Amino acid sequence: MSTSDAGGRTPSASPPGRAIVSRLIATFSGTVGLGVKILLLAVMNAVAVWAAAILAGDGKWIALGALIASTAAIDAVYLFSRRVIPLKFLVPGTLLLLAFQVTPIVYTVDVAFTNYSTGHLATKPEAIRAITQNTLEPPPGGKSYVMAPARDAGGALVLILRDEETGKAFAGTRKGLEPLAPGAVREQAGAIVAADGYTLVTGSELFTLDREIRSLLVPTEGSAAIRAEGLSTAIELQPTLRYDARANTFTRISNSLVFRDNRHGSFIAANGEELEPGWRTGVGFENFGRMLHDPLIRKPFLRVLTWTFAFAFLAVGLAFALGLFLAITLDKPGMRFQRFYRSLLIIPYAIPGFLSLLVWSGLLNDDFGVVNRLFHTSIPWLFDPWWAKASIILVSLWLTFPYFFLVCLGALQSIPAELTEAARVDGGGRLQIFRRVTLPLLMVAVAPLLIASFAFNFNNFNNIYFLTAGGPAATDQSVAGSTDILISYTYKIAFQAGKGQDYGLATSMAIAIFFIVGTISAVSFSRTKALENLQ
Amino acid sequence: MSGYEQAAETAAAETPAVAERRGRPGRRLGDMWWRHLVGLLAVGFSLFPVAYIVSAAFNSDPTLSGSSLIPRRVTLDNFRDLLSSQAKAGSTYSAANYVRWYENTLLVCSTAAVLMVLLSALAAYAFSRFRFRGRRLGMLALLLIQMFPSLLLVVAIYLILLQTGKVFPVIGLNTLTGLIIVYLGGAMGVNTWLMKGFFDTIPIELDESARVDGATPAQIFWGVVLPLALPVLAVIGLISFISTLNEFVFASVLLQDSDKFTLAVGLRGYIDQQYAEHWGPFAAGVLLAAIPVVVLFQVFQRWLVAGLTGGAVKG
Repeated sequence: MSTSDAGGRTPSASPPGRAIVSRLIATFSGTVGLGVKILLLAVMNAVAVWAAAILAGDGKWIALGALIASTAAIDAVYLFSRRVIPLKFLVPGTLLLLAFQVTPIVYTVDVAFTNYSTGHLATKPEAIRAITQNTLEPPPGGKSYVMAPARDAGGALVLILRDEETGKAFAGTRKGLEPLAPGAVREQAGAIVAADGYTLVTGSELFTLDREIRSLLVPTEGSAAIRAEGLSTAIELQPTLRYDARANTFTRISNSLVFRDNRHGSFIAANGEELEPGWRTGVGFENFGRMLHDPLIRKPFLRVLTWTFAFAFLAVGLAFALGLFLAITLDKPGMRFQRFYRSLLIIPYAIPGFLSLLVWSGLLNDDFGVVNRLFHTSIPWLFDPWWAKASIILVSLWLTFPYFFLVCLGALQSIPAELTEAARVDGGGRLQIFRRVTLPLLMVAVAPLLIASFAFNFNNFNNIYFLTAGGPAATDQSVAGSTDILISYTYKIAFQAGKGQDYGLATSMAIAIFFIVGTISAVSFSRTKALENLQ
Repeated sequence: MSGYEQAAETAAAETPAVAERRGRPGRRLGDMWWRHLVGLLAVGFSLFPVAYIVSAAFNSDPTLSGSSLIPRRVTLDNFRDLLSSQAKAGSTYSAANYVRWYENTLLVCSTAAVLMVLLSALAAYAFSRFRFRGRRLGMLALLLIQMFPSLLLVVAIYLILLQTGKVFPVIGLNTLTGLIIVYLGGAMGVNTWLMKGFFDTIPIELDESARVDGATPAQIFWGVVLPLALPVLAVIGLISFISTLNEFVFASVLLQDSDKFTLAVGLRGYIDQQYAEHWGPFAAGVLLAAIPVVVLFQVFQRWLVAGLTGGAVKG
């Protein structure tokens, strides 16, 4: 390779554009470069000091510690150390990697071993408080109060209350009842019209605060509480459940039914009745077990897994086959318009994928879509389970074949002509030469890309989401539609409300995906020996 | 053949070869016609959606059902609608924000692409030129981290930005800088591998002669390795640009206001809401967004082939 060596060793021989760039870069890496480095470090330290002040003010000591440690480490690496030169090049990317990939992964993996899901979002003390409050009920013949919402001097919402039996007046807050001096509250026709030290809420503001007023629970003695009932009365509520902290159980007061902690984040009675909400707690490998044993999850999971493999395999396989075929057909010495074909064929690859996908979903629309009108058909391209699968593969083929066309073209052109020539001299037929000489050499170059492409398509969320959003709905009533692949199924489980989000299950599926993709890649990479690069 | 040599050779040697091929136009059409037929069919397959979008963008009938391969009447109305329409109150995905989305996308994608290439090149240089403890492990770790489906990280990242936003509003939720920083978290990964493979093909004697002349590792990196790696940097930059452009989930979760959206989030919402009626302005929007990238691809075409296979092929 004399051309490249000459180009590399003597910069003057390289094209003028490159020489200018290299001279520019060389200038900036001398004293100027040192200046830039000092400047960047100074800015970083200034920002760090500023952040440290804010963190210290907020009392976030752990974050502050991490900040000081990392800043000091960066300064040390760039200013003093001559031994850890590789670190200078690795620190910037690694820090970002730690912050926005590793930390989230650790958090996510942690969640996979919990029951974090709709109904199990809170901590246990929060759940106990919520259960106690949710089950408060007005006892038969309980007390009632004349009430008026008001604001205290600080602007906080309070309930001005007058006991209808005793006539005593109170200001009720979230903390409890404060007795008011007799005569501080004035009434007209059975309604409170003024209270000393408080401004009554009146008019339209009453309606905007409606929800806030109704959710204001004023605790009284025992576990009872007072809550507004309408806009001018309030009633006393009594607990219907009693929590026993030592036994860790709730007992229903009326019939002594005991609800026990089932170790899965819920209180459940012997008759199966469950108190809501539950709380978030560790469940070990249960989420993984559910993928294998729970029929409601296992069946859709297996269906989706099968389709994911089929999709990734077909999308890559067909695109590679078409790309290779076109490369072989069009890479013929003496053929005219080769550049023309190449320039036009890579256009689908060049158009940003999300745009193409949006366009295709319009073209395949069954009512107004161009494809149906063009062929005078009325195929439900995106609304029939099988047609939708076919559409997704077709569109994936359209999106990816130019990539493999380019790659195969490059690989074919780098196979020395002497090799195929020699095979021909030895009497090999065209097909034989292709199978025995060209294809093996091509695969050396392309196999790692095929694997990478397979791994990419295995998690190709955009293709599914933008085209069919996983639809149409499958017959098994699952969240997973008939074109959902694992990653979009996982996404739905994690984020799509309706059937209830299950973040714990979703993250454990993400871990499963990680192992599937990792295993496939590891096995196939070791077979192609691509990892030998790693001396 | 190494990636570096391949790139240099394609750049240097293609022109005469092409000229030679062109110099023989008189070959029989006999064994060529089917190749042209295949070529034309393939071009038809790859261009027909493009043709429809171009046609819909200039068509006077902006609905999906009114679109056709050849516009009935050519107008620029769709572009005018797209670029000049006023924001309707309460409509998050009105086309009125298209220009804003476009600017946001350009800002996010170009900043992210440049910084990704830089961070990746720095790391690749360390992996390629230094022998240190944990090097092999580090590279394997990069590969493994990439294999975790990043989609599911969006909740954790949302929470992280929620926290950082309280200290640094600049990189909090609903900011483009926050989004860029999140994207940079993935800068080291497959790209670092590709680039390391390429750096390995640059003769180490170059480094050594520079070192003899008194250059520091930083100077060797900026002055020797980077300039020689320009083709591969350009290709990886282009690929990073495109992948950032296509990123939807993180952008849609982290950006909340319409004037902060990227094109992927904005156009998806726009077409989702008023599907069949706004096909024309949508097509115009697609066209305006796709053209710069297609032009970039055509410009980098020659390097692209070498860059795509360069890192993977060795020896």
